[in-house]
Amino acid sequence: MLAAQGLTVGYEARDVLAGLDVTIPEGKFTVIIGPNACGKSTLLRSLARLLKPRGGTVLLDGVPVDGQSPRHVATRMAVLPQTPLVPEGVTVAELVGRGRSPYQRWYRQWTIADTEAVASAMRSADVTELADRPVAALSGGQRQRVWIAMTLAQQTPILLLDEPTTYLDPAHQLEILTLLGRLRDEGKTVVAVLHDLNQAARYADHVIAMRDGQIVEAGAPRDVIDAGLVASVFGMDCVVVPCPVSGAPLVVPL
Amino acid sequence: MKLRYAGWLVAAGAVLAGAMALSVSVGEADLPWSLALDLRLPRTALAAVSGALFGIGGALIQSVTRNPLASPDVIGVTQGAGLAAVIAVTAGLPYALVAPTALAGGLLAAAVAFLLGARSGFTANRFVLGGVAIAFALRAGIEITLTTADAIDAQRAQIWLLGSLNGLGWAEATPLAITLVVALPLLAMAAWALRTSALDDDTARGLGARPVGVRAAAGALGVVMAALATATVGAVDFVALVAPQTAQRLARTERPPIALAGVVGAALVVVADLVARRLLAPTQLPVGVVTAAIGGPFLIFLLLRARRA
Repeated sequence: MLAAQGLTVGYEARDVLAGLDVTIPEGKFTVIIGPNACGKSTLLRSLARLLKPRGGTVLLDGVPVDGQSPRHVATRMAVLPQTPLVPEGVTVAELVGRGRSPYQRWYRQWTIADTEAVASAMRSADVTELADRPVAALSGGQRQRVWIAMTLAQQTPILLLDEPTTYLDPAHQLEILTLLGRLRDEGKTVVAVLHDLNQAARYADHVIAMRDGQIVEAGAPRDVIDAGLVASVFGMDCVVVPCPVSGAPLVVPL
Repeated sequence: MKLRYAGWLVAAGAVLAGAMALSVSVGEADLPWSLALDLRLPRTALAAVSGALFGIGGALIQSVTRNPLASPDVIGVTQGAGLAAVIAVTAGLPYALVAPTALAGGLLAAAVAFLLGARSGFTANRFVLGGVAIAFALRAGIEITLTTADAIDAQRAQIWLLGSLNGLGWAEATPLAITLVVALPLLAMAAWALRTSALDDDTARGLGARPVGVRAAAGALGVVMAALATATVGAVDFVALVAPQTAQRLARTERPPIALAGVVGAALVVVADLVARRLLAPTQLPVGVVTAAIGGPFLIFLLLRARRA
């Protein structure tokens, strides 16, 4: 269970989020949308305890997250940052293996459970055949699947991703979103920041729409996404029609 | 541990053992083995253990700063130790106090660099640039002290600055060896923690690591090891730059590997000391001159080889 109460986060003089209350529904695919600089990445990074809030608390399993040990939190919640630094000379299997760090100690580095978790994570993200390739030599889409595999190796019930589809071509974007949907089907709580409204509408179970550090609306895409919301959040005129493939709301700009 | 790394560790260990045996058996006079051991092993052992400390210290500092050019002389450790030692020598302090004074100077300079680097989490430019600035200021201090000092004192100080093993032995080697043994579990922890903390900070935190704390601790450990070695044998510190880079290129690891950097550093100083003793015998060169002369071209060779690959 992941939630935030009265969350206030800022950089230097400016508060990006001011007193936000959020609840992330369990076992659902939640997508945070909003224009640039609306605070959606800040919200995700605060939930992932990568940013220290000035006020309010993030609750993980009902307990304030900053009171829990980082190692324990890393077994409950995995995070994929926006542009992780690719270490040089590291193979896919090694990088996915780093996902086991929260379960390991310097004096007890590797167990059968680690081997099994890594193999299953690589199968899940479909990167098994890349296992021995250096991560730096992979294409953007492959690399993103490898990073997701690393977070899967953490075997957490919650997965947070900051713009996981940015910098990917449309086919690879869909591939990642389909993978995230499958992870949700397997029982994970998935939270992602996305730029594309229509992708959010199609893949999310729950949408959080933000503007100027505030949550404008939150709920199922069919209930939330309409011309009024798009106008108030993005300042863009549009019509919303049912998507011919999925039936989800489809935003067509005017 | 990867096979390639283990292989190079064994190979470098064999080179080190061979170089130590050669260093003990070669000298001014042909001595019976037992006498040669008595007379030459202490100095050879000091060469090996100080080289190991330089190599390990350099590997830690380079891993923490993610900068292959970072080494004790870049972040001011060497210059701090140097200035303290030069002041100690020219002020006529007893010889036994020169090394402790140098150690204090090296640690003090590094502490200032750390304070500057703390705000950027000990990576990248702030730490290194701050260290470079400190190093230059201290170097000026060394020059001023040397030019105003008595000529004989200045010459003694110069030899210390270049790094020399002349006249040193067990008394110097033993404390360094004890430090190395005591630090082994810390090094194992550092090597492990740096695996995740060398990823970017967000990813590392996501994995439950405390990257800034790990880097501060590992960097401090590296500085202490390099400062101890510098205070004991002087500024032989091209070793701290070249040994980790050599080890990393041989083993093709993502960061300078700590254990292999130690063995490579040890072998480099043992070989350099042998050359320094024998090349222009009976004149003994300062070992720091030779480590630079051997290590520089070897690193260039490795860089050229890497470009072809």
